[in-house]
Amino acid sequence: MERFIADLVQGLDSGQIDRREFCKTVALAAAVYGAGDAAQAQAQRGFKIIGINHMSYTCPDYTKARDWYASVLNMKSEATRDDGKRANLMFGPEPGKGGSFLVTRSPSSVASGSAGAKSGSEAVIDHICYTIPNWDEARVRATLKAKGLDVTGRDGSLHVYDPFDYDVQIASAAVENAFRR
Amino acid sequence: MEGFVAKQVHDYQNGKISRRGLIEILTLAATTAYAGRNADAAEQSGLDATLVNHVSYTCPDFRRAADWYSMVFNLDQVGATARDVALPFGKKGEKPYGVTVDDVPLTHIICRTRSLDASAGNGPPRRKANAVIDHIAVTVADFDRERAKAQLTAMGVKNVRDGGPFSVYVNDPFGYEIQIGGLRVTAICGAETRATCSDNR
Repeated sequence: MERFIADLVQGLDSGQIDRREFCKTVALAAAVYGAGDAAQAQAQRGFKIIGINHMSYTCPDYTKARDWYASVLNMKSEATRDDGKRANLMFGPEPGKGGSFLVTRSPSSVASGSAGAKSGSEAVIDHICYTIPNWDEARVRATLKAKGLDVTGRDGSLHVYDPFDYDVQIASAAVENAFRR
Repeated sequence: MEGFVAKQVHDYQNGKISRRGLIEILTLAATTAYAGRNADAAEQSGLDATLVNHVSYTCPDFRRAADWYSMVFNLDQVGATARDVALPFGKKGEKPYGVTVDDVPLTHIICRTRSLDASAGNGPPRRKANAVIDHIAVTVADFDRERAKAQLTAMGVKNVRDGGPFSVYVNDPFGYEIQIGGLRVTAICGAETRATCSDNR
């Protein structure tokens, strides 16, 4: 900025621009500079993220996925939102108080405003990991086995596949924690 | 219990499980039943998923993705390796929003660059899924759609579009769709309340 104004002053001194033009240019430069600062400050203020609201899971048969997640992960299907094409499966805190949900949907069900499964994304969510509190290794493994699931992974961090071969990870707080990687 | 055993026997007789597998399953079921958790209960009561622990996001350039998520959602990057980095939804020591129990860590995104058939849990290569998480919605504090759109545009985020009155959709640098909304977007919004509660998910 200083250099820019110095050049303007030189132009004024040498008669290349008149006083009126000089004043207008400096005022405009100050306004642009201020706006730039504001824009930059705004850009640095990202959102305060609270949590995952929901995940949209598209598969050939949403009922099969619905029943699996309800059975294995105790998610609760909201009956009023099951319209024959999709279901909302709640878990965690209460709705509106930090709770999340998994939307299992058939390909014909696409959220308004969303490109759905045909988004052409180069990125993939290759698995979701869920936290199980009060982790008891023997109980978790026995529960999964009783559901007929093949379990891989290590103690405190297990993997199974859902009915559509989607990788589902189940973990304890002690083993899967961003700050202990 | 009987129904459960019958199903296992059926699977065994049809070659779906081995003899040893049958024995293991029935032994586990029987001992669990003895401990007061019968197999019927085991069939009906699964594990209590309390929160998303992490979302595993695989893309061609994890650093680029991580920088974008850091910018848009004010997320720190921790535990970086040559192929991935974690972005927790808060600072160390903070508790997840709405969670009362102690042993539930902050949700985080892991941005990765790796093969899609990378091993799942030290097992064989990951199977090719016949399902997809086509978008993820995040809840942010003090959400206001018009303000959010202006904020996103100021951050240089492209293709910002409405997701009903209470959310917006954007695409990240790799075209992955992210929905951003507030606490009012819930699983229980019914047809009668759609005027006041987003139904765009």
